[in-house]
Formats: sequence, C-alpha cells, structure tokens
Amino acid sequence: MEKELIKLIDTTKCTACRGCQVACKQWNEMPGLKTKQWGSYQNPPDLQWNTWTLIRFQEYVSDKGAFKWLFRKDGCMHCTDAACVKVCPSGALHHTEFGTVGLNSSRCIGCKECVSACPFDIPRYNRETDKIYKCDLCYNRLRGDESPSCVKSCPTGALTIGRKDAMTKKAYARAKELGGDANVYGDKFVGGTHVLYVLDEKAKVYDNLPRDPSVPFSIIVWKDMLKPLALLAAGGVLAGSFLHYILHGPKLPDEPGPNEPGKEEKGGE
Amino acid sequence: MRKGLIQATDGFERIVHWSLALSCIALCITGLGMMYQSLNFIGDMMGGLKSLKYVHNFTGVFFGVALYFTIRMWWKEAGIFSMPEDLEWIRCAGGYLWHVDKVPETGKYNPGQKMFFLAVAGFGAIMFLTGLMMWFPLSFPAMIVRLMYVLHALGFVVIFAFFFVHLYLGTIGSPGSLDAMLTGWVSRAWLKKQHPKWLKEMEEHGTLVVYGEEKTAAKGHGH
Amino acid sequence: MTNHYIDLKNSDCILIMGSNAAEHHPIAFKWILRAKEKGAKIIHVDPRYTRTSARCDYHVPLRSGTDIAFLGGMINYIVNNDKWFKDYVLNYTNASFIVGPDFTFQDGLFSGYDAQKRKYNKDTWVLEKDSKGIPKRDMSLNDPRCVFQMMKTHYSRYTLDKVSSITGVSKENLLKVYEEYSATGVKDKAGTECYALGWTHHTTGSQIIRTMSMIQLLLGNMGICGGGVNALRGEPNVQGSTDHAILYNILPGYLKMPPASLDTLDKYLEKNTPVSKDPQSANYYQNYPKFFVSFLKSMFHDKATAENGFGYSWMPKLDDGVHYSLMHLFDKMYEGKIKGLFAVGTDPAVSSPNTNKVRKALEKLDWMVGENIFNNETYSFWKGPGVDPKQVKTEVFLLPASASMEKEGSQSNSGRWVQWKYKAAEAPGDGIPVGEITIKIMAAVRALYAKEGGVHPDPILNLKWDYTDIKGRYDALKVSKQINGYFLKDTVIEDKAAGTKTEFKKGQLVPTFGMLQVDGATASGNWVMAGSFTATGENRMAKRGKDDPTGLGLYPNWSYAWPVNRRIIYNRASCDIYGKPYNPKRKLLEWVGDKWVGDVPDGPWPPQADKEKGKYPFIMKADGLGALFGPGMVEGPFPEHYEPLEGPLAKNPLSGQLINPAIEIFKSDLDKVANADAKFPYVCTTYSCTEHWCSGALTRWQAWLLEMQPELYVEIGDLLARDLGIRNGAKVRVSSIRGAVECVAMVTKRFKPFQIEGKTVHQVGLPFNYGWLFPKDGSDSTNFLTPTVGDANTFCPEYKAFMVNVQKI
Repeated sequence: MEKELIKLIDTTKCTACRGCQVACKQWNEMPGLKTKQWGSYQNPPDLQWNTWTLIRFQEYVSDKGAFKWLFRKDGCMHCTDAACVKVCPSGALHHTEFGTVGLNSSRCIGCKECVSACPFDIPRYNRETDKIYKCDLCYNRLRGDESPSCVKSCPTGALTIGRKDAMTKKAYARAKELGGDANVYGDKFVGGTHVLYVLDEKAKVYDNLPRDPSVPFSIIVWKDMLKPLALLAAGGVLAGSFLHYILHGPKLPDEPGPNEPGKEEKGGE
Repeated sequence: MRKGLIQATDGFERIVHWSLALSCIALCITGLGMMYQSLNFIGDMMGGLKSLKYVHNFTGVFFGVALYFTIRMWWKEAGIFSMPEDLEWIRCAGGYLWHVDKVPETGKYNPGQKMFFLAVAGFGAIMFLTGLMMWFPLSFPAMIVRLMYVLHALGFVVIFAFFFVHLYLGTIGSPGSLDAMLTGWVSRAWLKKQHPKWLKEMEEHGTLVVYGEEKTAAKGHGH
Repeated sequence: MTNHYIDLKNSDCILIMGSNAAEHHPIAFKWILRAKEKGAKIIHVDPRYTRTSARCDYHVPLRSGTDIAFLGGMINYIVNNDKWFKDYVLNYTNASFIVGPDFTFQDGLFSGYDAQKRKYNKDTWVLEKDSKGIPKRDMSLNDPRCVFQMMKTHYSRYTLDKVSSITGVSKENLLKVYEEYSATGVKDKAGTECYALGWTHHTTGSQIIRTMSMIQLLLGNMGICGGGVNALRGEPNVQGSTDHAILYNILPGYLKMPPASLDTLDKYLEKNTPVSKDPQSANYYQNYPKFFVSFLKSMFHDKATAENGFGYSWMPKLDDGVHYSLMHLFDKMYEGKIKGLFAVGTDPAVSSPNTNKVRKALEKLDWMVGENIFNNETYSFWKGPGVDPKQVKTEVFLLPASASMEKEGSQSNSGRWVQWKYKAAEAPGDGIPVGEITIKIMAAVRALYAKEGGVHPDPILNLKWDYTDIKGRYDALKVSKQINGYFLKDTVIEDKAAGTKTEFKKGQLVPTFGMLQVDGATASGNWVMAGSFTATGENRMAKRGKDDPTGLGLYPNWSYAWPVNRRIIYNRASCDIYGKPYNPKRKLLEWVGDKWVGDVPDGPWPPQADKEKGKYPFIMKADGLGALFGPGMVEGPFPEHYEPLEGPLAKNPLSGQLINPAIEIFKSDLDKVANADAKFPYVCTTYSCTEHWCSGALTRWQAWLLEMQPELYVEIGDLLARDLGIRNGAKVRVSSIRGAVECVAMVTKRFKPFQIEGKTVHQVGLPFNYGWLFPKDGSDSTNFLTPTVGDANTFCPEYKAFMVNVQKI
C-alpha cells in the first residue's frame, strides 16, 4: 500500500503530559467523565468509550534495583491482520487506504464482538449509544493531510507519523541508539501494526501489553474455517438432496396397487 | 376431503414446531446478515443492521423458549433410541440412500428424525447459551467469549446443514410429510410407509384418530 | 531567563533543580530533550521523582529547603578541584576585588546583624576602592581578603559529609552531580540551570538562585549559548506581568517604587542611580533618570514638567520599612486594616499560604471586586465551608472578564520574548478584557474626582488616560505604544560613536531606550519595552520571521525580546577579552573589525582588552562584572544555608543560626509554627501538576482536565505508607499546626526517606490545585497546611518546606 502510514510512539521521549489524551477528546468530541483519584496519575484508570488513548503510568523496579517510572500511551495498534476487522459483522471496522483500522460509527451495531477479539484489549462499548469506540488515528485528519491530533499535540516529539518504511527504519535506528533493552514493538506480529513503539524496557515489563499478540485462534477457526464450512455444508446438503431426488427419488407411500417394492428405486448413492 | 386421514400431530405440537422452525429460520437469516458482510443488506430490510441485531437477539430468546417446549414435548418420543430396531434402521439408513427390501419398522420417529431432533436440541441449546453470552460479552472473560463465538458458528454449521436435510425430507423428499405439520392429518398409506410401527402401536392401543370417525379400534388391516 | 527556551538545546549539561520542567513547562522541556538527544547530560535534583526525573539521565533526591547546602557544596567542590574557568572568573567577575576590612561572618551571621529588627546594616558589606574610587583588585587571587578567597573560606564548611547530612543526598550522588556539572567549566562546554517555583517558594529562594549564579560565573556559563540561569516561568504571561510591575516594590521595567522618605525626584534619582568611577564600566544604570523621567512623562504627559519634578509627588509612595506583599496584605486584612480588595484573576482563598488566615481575613473586608472568567473560592468565600453568610458583611462584586485568547495584546515568555497575539474568539456573555474593565472603572473614578474633588485629586486628574479606540473601547495597541514610548517634541539624537545625527519628530515612537531623554522630551511607560515598535510604528512584537542566521536558534526576527531584541543577555561574556568566542562552535557573538557580529550585544563598545573604549560585559552592574560577592541581598553577600521556618531539625548543622535571619516572622494568632515537633514529623512540600493551572480555579471547570486529576491527593513514599498502614487510594488526613486537609493517599516509590543528621526523615507532597467550590468531592485547599512566611528579599511565600502529620481516616 503506497499510502501506508505508521505512528511511532517513542516512550523514551514521552513526559506523560497527556496532551495527547486531551487532544484526542477535543478533536473527536468526546466528553470528560467523572472519575475518582485512585492512587495513580493514570486516569481514567483504563481505556473507556470516551478515552481512546490513555497514558499508562507504571512504577517499575528492575532486577538490579533501578527505579523507573514508565509511561506508555495505550490505544489502537492498527493491526494489518486486525482481529476486530475480521470479526466485525457490519464492516464498521475496516482497513483504510492508510493501512489503519477505521471505524465507521454509523455502521456499528454494538455487537461487541471486536471487544473480545482484540488482542490488545482496545475497543470500548458505550451502553447509551450501543456502539463501540476506539482510535481511528484521526482518519478525517489524515484525509486532509494533517497528522492525528495526538501527534499534533505532542510537545516532545514522542509521537510522530510518516510513511511505513521510513518510520520502521526510524524506530529501529532509535532503538539501536538507545541500546540496552530498548526495542521496537509492533512490526513482528499481527501482520505488523501501524502503531510502533520504541520501548525503553522489554515488552514483558509493561502492564497491559501483550508480549506476543496474535489474532486469537478461535477467530481464525470461526472466520476462516467455520464460515466457509457453513456454506459448504449447506451447499453440500442441498446438492445431496437434489441428487437424492433425481437419483433415488422421494420416499413415497407404497401404492396400494402395483405393490412392487423397490421397482423405482434403482441403486443408491 | 380429509375423510379417512389419520391425525399425526395435535395443535400444540404444531405450534411448538413452527415456533421453533420459524424462529430458527429467522435466526439463520438474520445471523447470515451479520455473518457475511455481503448479506448486510438483509439488515436494511429491517431498518438497519442494528435492528437486525435486535431481531436476532430477541428471536433468539423466543427460540430458546420454543426449544424448551420442543425438548419437553418430544424428548420421550424422539430423544431415546429403541433398540434394536433403531440400530438396524440406521444400518440401512432407513432406506433413504440405497435400496432396502425391508426397512426396519420404527416408532413415531425414526432414528433419522431422532438424530435430527437431538441435533436441534443439542446445538439449539448451544446456540441459545452461546448467543446469550455473546449478547453480554463484557460480563465474561474475553477468552471464554471468544470460544462462544466458535461454538455459535459451529452450531450454525450443523443446524444450517440439518435445516436443509429437514426441509428436503419434510417436503419433496417425502411427499405427504408436510401435511403432518400443516394440518396434522396424514394418509394411512403415508403413515404405513413412514411409521409402520407407530401405526401399529396406535391401532393396538386404540389411540388412532381417524378423521370423521369415533376414536375406536381401527378396522383390521394387514400391512 | 538570561537565555531563552530554544537555547536550552545548545547546552551540554542541564541541571534541573527547583523545577519540574516536564510537568510544568512541557514545551520548554522539548528543548531540553533536544539537548539530550545531542548528548547533553540532564540531571534532576528534586525531593520527589517526577515526570521530569523520568526523562532525565538521573534523579537525585534532596530534602526540601536544602538547596543552598547542595549548591554551596558544589562551589566548594569547584574551588577545591580547580574546576573553575580561570580566564572568565578573573576578567568577568569580582573574584579579584578586595572585601572591606570590617566584613565578617561568624556562626551563620554576617557583620551588621540586628536581631531585634531581624535586619542587617550593610555598611560593612563593601568592596575596597582605590583613591580614584575604582575597586581594588588582586589578579593573583591570593589576597585572603579578596572575594575569591573569602568565598572559598565561606564554602569550605560545605564538605561532602556535611552537605550529605543536611540534604539527605548520598555522597556518591553529590559527587556525581558535582563532577558532571563542573565539567562545563571549560571554554567549549556550556552548562545551564532551570529552576522555577521549587526555588522561589523558599524562605531562602533568592539566595538559592544567587548561589547558582555564582556557580555559573565560576564555570564561565553566564552569557553564553546553552548557559545561564533560567527561570522557567508559569502561564504565558508571568514574565510580562513582572516586567510591567505586578509586584508592589517595582514600577514597570523594574524601576524602584519610591519610598516616602525620598520625597523629591532628585533624592529618588540620586538614591537609585549607581555611580562608577571605573572608565571600563558601562554602568548602564547611570541612565536610570532617563528611564524614570520618561516613565513619569508617560503617566502624566503634559502635566509632568521639570518644575513639578515631572509629577514625582503624585506617585504613590511606600512607607519606609513596610512591605506590601500578598502575605502582608492578608496579614493587615486579618488585622482589619484593609477594607476593600480587588482580586483580579486570582484565587488567594486557595493559592495563598495559610488558608485559614486568608479566609478569615476576607471576612473582614467591606467590599471585594473580582474580575475573572470563572467564579472561585475567593469570590465565594462568604458561603464557603464553615462560613455563615449571614455573619459576613462583605459585599462582593464579580465582573466577567474575557480569557487571554479572547483579546488582543502582547504576552511575554520566560525568554523575554514579547509576542503579539490576536483575538481568537469573542468572549461569552458580558465578558470583556480586564484592561477594558480598568478603563471603565477609572473613567468613573475620574469623573467623580472631577465633580466632587477629594483628598488628593491631582494624581487621578493629571493622569494621562486616553487608551480607548474611536468606539470608546480599550485599545491594546494604544497602550502598547505608550509603553514603548513617544518623542514628545522634535528631538535630534546624536550617535557620537558613529558620528551621525538623526532627527525624530514629535509623536514618533522611540525606537530604543538608548534614546530616552531625561529632560522630558520622551515618554515611555516601560523602558525595557522601548523598541518594541519601530520609530515608524511597526509592531516588532508581531514579527514572525523564521530566519536563524547564527544557527543557534536565536530567531532575531521572531517577536521582540527585551532588552533591544537581545536574545541572550550578558552575551559579551561569551567571548574572551579580545572579543573572540570562547567556543567557536557556538559563536553567539564575535568582535569583527570594529563591530560585534551575532546576537544584539550588551552595548556597542569594543571588548574590554581595549583599555580606552572597551567595557566590561556585565553592563547592568555598577562595577561591570559578575558578582561573586553580592551585597544586594538582604541576608548576606554569600548565600548561606538556613533551615526552613519549619523543619525536622532543632539545630542548623552548619551554624547556630537555625532559620534565615532576615525573614519576617508574622505574629498573628493564626501564624503558628511547629519546628522539629514530634506531632508533625514529616517534611511536606506542595506543587502543581500538569493537568491543572495553579489553584485550579480555571482548570477544574474543564472536564477533560478534571477527569485526569479529579481530586486532591498526597504522595507518600511506600516505606512510610507501610509504617503508617496506609493503602494506596485510601483516604487520609494531612495536618500541620495551622490546619488540615483530607485527601487520597497515593503510595509511591517516588518519595524516598532521607537520612538527615543520622535520622530517617520522610517527606510527603501534595498538589494545591483543589478548592471546595468545584468539584464538590475534590477536597479543599492544600494551603491550610502552609505557613505565612516568605523569602527575605521578595516575600515569595514558602510553599515548599514545612512539617505535617499524616493519618488514616
């Protein structure tokens, strides 16, 4: 895809100012909701229907006893093999020309199938509107050649967006420059995500970040196997019935007169 | 017109059957509308895919109720195989597939029908339960819900296939069968061909109801 | 800032101390990260591990209020390990000057202390001068009375052991920071310091900053790219508000507010105009009379004449020895001596120290006028918690003001860049700019004075007051031009150096403050802003040129930086005495032929090696040199560590003087102090957070921000929380001897206990962003806890170090 984009989240430049978290709500006209202080800067405590991107704050002590405060901007990873797109019955979730996973909210029927399908636990359901919500990487901004609002708001350059190849290279160059446990996260699974992380620590260190995410096997079974099988089976039965009818014939009551059983029933299948 | 016909089903049975059948058909159609994006247009006929979802969900509830009555009603007649004749019937596939000189005589429901009933009962229950969980997926762990989708799909594969078998055998594959579920009255000849043992039982037990006749022991008949 | 935000990227080592830059100056922090990407070391010294610490190379925790000890130790390290930049120190600082013979320092006190008045007589804090009145110098720096040796002796007491024991910083960490930072004391390295309220909010705040200035002078980091001492200031226009005299003791452009004892203009000018006999000292403040007279002309215009002292007598005067800071205002209000209050864009019922006292004081007012975009706890104090509205006599008026983006005007950032901005939206409802409110009120007041006379009508009636447009509305451009200044008569300006004469017509704008006149020929509302317009009226503040000829990010055509568009002040110190840049890779300025090339220099004179025409680089100092010995401060020429008013120690480990000897102690019944008191065992500090602005009076109404930081919390180290049995997220009560506040416990590894004088001392911290008005369940002001005490020089309140207790509820 020529226009394929990647958003790079360089966690080593993030100051957790949460400008992105607010800018996202502003652009997408999502309300701020009532929260409680629960002993963390991370608020709302998790992604929710009005919160498509969330800075996760995590206090982490390494094996060597070094303390770090890790910040990770959570949100849709925009998978190439997107489980949500696979399961979406209505096409509300779809791939865009940028390779991102768009969400056509008017088509969403609120079936919530994507919620359980997503390996990153991203889509969120709103009972009132009976729809799911998630980041669409500001598709309407991308269309206008603008960067997504989170990228636009980022003061430090932790968030950048650009062509897939260039951004992948940039990510690897940055990880190499940082050395140590720094690594690139995102390009090695689900066909490659359109959001890449440069992580300061190994992926396993981060809360709520799957180490090896994949499209759930159950979804492959049902979408790639059972779905065609349903047609195949039904088609087989119809074909079988037709053959039965023309070869074996219907099972008729025995005629009282010419009672010669089996006469018209030659052969079988 | 109906004179001489024999009552195969009563009104309640037919209501239950058709409740189940129609809801199942509705579920299949609406389900297909959600299963294949190319069939999303089915939703348009209901005012949008979202309405279709609600039709599917609430029809599912109706289906569940119908299924309950179906199972309760037919469990004894169709849920239990009677040996050895059922086994023999199965061995010769009830004479449906190849020529059999003498099909073992079965009761009100032959093993084929029994298997169909069991499939409907079993997979129907699965569809109902998995569907219910899919309706409220946020109340269960994602891992469990993901499995529900697979089972729901698997159930559909089976039920959808059986549906066509049933459709064929209930109509042109076995002319006269449809009457059993439409009017409840069937011809003696049909009954004799399809359910000879049941006919005999009814005659022996004096439960045979012949249209326009008092309920009496049937006239002697050979078979 | 001596430098400017973008310049942070040019640094090799950035010490962030007294600042949580990433959280409170997120955009400035971008430039810090740029420096880091280029290999600069970023060090964060702060009691608490913050979002800033997370992005620095390392974080060094220190006990609140011990910054001078930490920095004094650094001076000791620099001197003992020969890390100082000799060429710079010798030529550009007063290190070689000889301190007067009667100056002494003993057991924490300098000579001249009056314990009764808590004040110094500074007569002995002098530098010796020769017969011509030029300071004596010992260029060998060996004279035991020279500033360098005196300084060395003073800070020799700040040993690693001592400093570690006071600050709670491990010796390894002290050495790590000292080594890293002092490595910039060479000519091709630049180190800078970023501070904010973490330094100013102390009883020793000004002296902390001065200690750092001394370090920067010792390392040759002042006046260079990537160097300087940089105050990161708050809201977009905090710099502008101080430039334009928001504080009681200054007039616009940092001119001095006249005291009553200086009853004539001549006396005032004599007192405030420094004199230097040294021909090489530019002593730029010798021009003070020009700036001040031009200011008076801007106030009273034609009414100000040479005969009436340009209206000096109409200027309000401060009573001698009396201070008028925010704390003093509330102290006097609490005594019942202040009857009315204008509270414009402020919420002192939340933001001022000692909330109990402040809220009680408000009840004693007859009237209050608020001007703001939202209601707040101050304007609604009469119905606040525990207040019976029936018992409050105060009449409160709240006037709706427009927000900053709803009006045109200038705003100045910390780098002194004055940027013009335009109105982006109409204010909702009846909201109008506070400038317009002022215009309307003053028009009515003048009309009343004109009609009824009054006690002292002259200043009111003689005031030049024509800042409205043709529709009678406040005209920001008109005000700005008046601030810049006009020629009031045809004037010929002669440039002797260039041998040119230029004639300016009456009514033309003054293009630079060098042209301001002492005879009343010019008017300028704020001399540092003279030059924000060109003579022909072009608004230089509105310039948006993106050219960067030096490649150092000076952007000379973007906005206007005072003074005279100089981007880095004291920039002549970036070159050696011959005018060659110390660091050719970051060539801020260079003497080429007969002129300076690069940034706008601190004056056109040749470098100081030219003994005839050359001048020293620190032109605003009377001596022309950076002051290692600084007698301007009220508590002594060398900063000294004193404990906060409330601390964990009963004795200062460095001397017999426990607290800053020059701070004012407030004595009302609500000004209680509990030093080294077992009932309040934990050091407490307060701060803001990224998500709210100050008291939160503006931001708490914003649902997106409130969602992220919904209510008051106290950050408690996990070890202390374990000892107290406090779970994360539990409700707790934090109390000081003055008051208490309930909030949510945020148990964290980011606060670690300190080892102070052999004892374990825990510190906790709370933001001060919440008030009872909204949200209803967000708790109330953190300042119930804080003491009414402030810096000895500025009276900036001590919000950063005091003692509390924490209990489960």
